Amino acid sequence: MQFALAALAIVAAQAAWGQDVEAGRQKAEPCLACHGPNGNSTVPLFPILAGQTARYIYLQLKDFQEGRRQEPQMDPFVAKLSREDMFDLAAFFAAQKPRPTPFKPDAEKAARGEKKAAETLCTMCHLKGFMGQNEIPRVASQHYEYIVKQMRDFKAGKRTNDAGNMASVSKTLSDGDIDDLGHYLAGLY
Amino acid sequence: MKNTTPAPSVQLLLAAAAFIVFGGCAAETMSQKGVAVSAVPEVSQAMLTAAGSQSQNWLHTNGDYSQLRYYPGGQITTGNVGKLRVKFVVQTEVVESMETAPIVVDGTMYLTTAYNHVYAVDADTGKERWHHKHKMGPVTTFCCGPNNRGVAIAGGRLFMGTLDAKLVALDAKTGERLWEVQIADPEKGYSETMAPTVVEDKVLVGTNGGEYGIRGFVKAFAAADGKLLWTFYTIPEKGHEGVWAVNDATGRNMKRDIAAEKARLAKDSSFWQRLGGGVWMNPAVDLTARALWFVVGNPSPDLYGAERPGDNLYTNSLVAVSLDTGTLKCHFQYIAHDVWDLDAVSPPILVDVKDQAGKMIPGVIHGGKTGHIYVHDRSNCNLVRFSEAMIPQENMWVLPTAAGARMLPGANGGVEWSPMSFDPTTRLAIALNLHQPMTYHVEAAEYPGGSKLWLGGAFKVIPTEKQWGRVAAVDIDTGKVVWRHDTEQPLIGGGLATAGGLYFFGEGNGSFNALDSKTGKKLWSFNCGAGANAMPISYMVGGKQHIAMGCGGNTQIDYKRGNSVFVFTVD
Repeated sequence: MQFALAALAIVAAQAAWGQDVEAGRQKAEPCLACHGPNGNSTVPLFPILAGQTARYIYLQLKDFQEGRRQEPQMDPFVAKLSREDMFDLAAFFAAQKPRPTPFKPDAEKAARGEKKAAETLCTMCHLKGFMGQNEIPRVASQHYEYIVKQMRDFKAGKRTNDAGNMASVSKTLSDGDIDDLGHYLAGLY
Repeated sequence: MKNTTPAPSVQLLLAAAAFIVFGGCAAETMSQKGVAVSAVPEVSQAMLTAAGSQSQNWLHTNGDYSQLRYYPGGQITTGNVGKLRVKFVVQTEVVESMETAPIVVDGTMYLTTAYNHVYAVDADTGKERWHHKHKMGPVTTFCCGPNNRGVAIAGGRLFMGTLDAKLVALDAKTGERLWEVQIADPEKGYSETMAPTVVEDKVLVGTNGGEYGIRGFVKAFAAADGKLLWTFYTIPEKGHEGVWAVNDATGRNMKRDIAAEKARLAKDSSFWQRLGGGVWMNPAVDLTARALWFVVGNPSPDLYGAERPGDNLYTNSLVAVSLDTGTLKCHFQYIAHDVWDLDAVSPPILVDVKDQAGKMIPGVIHGGKTGHIYVHDRSNCNLVRFSEAMIPQENMWVLPTAAGARMLPGANGGVEWSPMSFDPTTRLAIALNLHQPMTYHVEAAEYPGGSKLWLGGAFKVIPTEKQWGRVAAVDIDTGKVVWRHDTEQPLIGGGLATAGGLYFFGEGNGSFNALDSKTGKKLWSFNCGAGANAMPISYMVGGKQHIAMGCGGNTQIDYKRGNSVFVFTVD
């Protein structure tokens, strides 16, 4: 019913079955070289994980491990993760505070991106302010380069672990739209 | 007074959710300020049955078992509504989408917020008596916002469905949890946002999840201990292909390729286990017929129909089942093999209706996302008539395409979950409508296992086309729209008709309004600062009629969020 688009979920990371932030902190050590201190990556093509929803992180790790999402650089890191490891990592990164990036959005592009986002009904799933919920990721203040690459990959069929939703949406977006959205979303904080 | 310390891990978690401002979602905390509810409320079955013929209490989400949303008290009238003033405001700690219909019993109001907080407050002053936060499980999966539409009451107990797909019973006096049962698996896409309905010690609840590939149901649990009494699955294991309907309920061709569907079904019919069919809103109850009427939502995935051949029964249908056993009595499908998500959501209303021969018979009416009000014979679910369209319809039923096909109504169209009101004095059904022009996009997508939103495409609004809302009053005996009241924004939320000749409803821009229910003329308005998208109610305390409305905005249409319930009286 309700229109469908919205999905959301929340993940309340809590102590139940192994969602342990402290354990996640230990297990996250190898991740930080690319994803930055506490998941605040400084390399624009590696996503910021700090403040990401725990359920999204868990599902992405699972998808990397099981081959639904392809990223050779992730392979060695996910190969041996247990379900509990994934929960702990997800809980840890979700509990970290995201820091603003140095990216300076172009005001005109960001304004067009905001309009395009409203037309595309993005917040029905990504929620108010693109903060994410449950399995739908937070995109606010993510790296511009990463956002644009993901949208292009969805559009080109290179990333397919979205149950078709982003594939469908991104096909309605031009390269210019994607650029505008990148400026808008990277500048949200 | 009892305080339970939140689990330490909660804090962590909160950080994750911190952007959404809600406090302590993961903790089961009980805080009590002031005093506990002074007397144990004892809401008998006789009180629940007669709820529609008294004006003291508001005992059901939709007023009574018939779900009229009609308040028979008439102190506040067309003559004095201009003097309606705020008496108090209950500020909750949760700033999120608010859809609650408060329940009021003997001077105590029970209201809920997003993320399953429950508050008991003095209905005369707003003073908090207790506050219960549901301890949310680690996994929740839900579409359309972290909503809750309220509690049900029976005896001295409150009942609430939760986002982690549990049914919880609370002591109405203290807010303490009495029992909790798991309704279904949240990892498979099940969640609860509806208020339950309680009848004869059965707690009835449906499920969300039509956007995740669930198998929908209505279940009955024992009020005493949460024991499961029966389950009606909205998707039958056999026979879901139906009659291969070519036309919708109004006789329009749905452009199905039935030969291709039949060939597909011959290859694989296992999809019934993930065919969707959520039940979002309360059933109406007829104790004489000992039956329930409810409507069933869309099939999964919403827009991509190739892998779910057949009519997809009982999605997009009105369904009646036995109160005692949950067995099917009758059904009527509005749209077979839906690929537009124009499903059935708004709760049905039981009223007598005029049949085609002009004879009054027991009937049931439903306001659809198509923009029609459908009028049925209660005895067999058959359609007696449908109203003229309350909002524009164009290009029905064009099939969704990858590039997007324009059709009106858009998927947020007509009457959403918004419950209608029926005024027995005018015989008008009053409905809140959305007009949000959209394009429908389809994308082949396999079942993702229940953990991911599964639409099989997307909806997009058309930026060059204006969106708006419409209150429409329909004579159910003729199907004609008698009056219209248009608003700047699409309407979502509940309405309330009263014996004072008024109709109360809210808008996304914060306006909470009273119309003359005979003409649609606006008589009063108040802006509560956040989307007025909950469900208004009315009750008496201290000899005075009160009107209550939650203003917390709405996730689905992205209306401004808030955290308050406003209560009004005429001074």
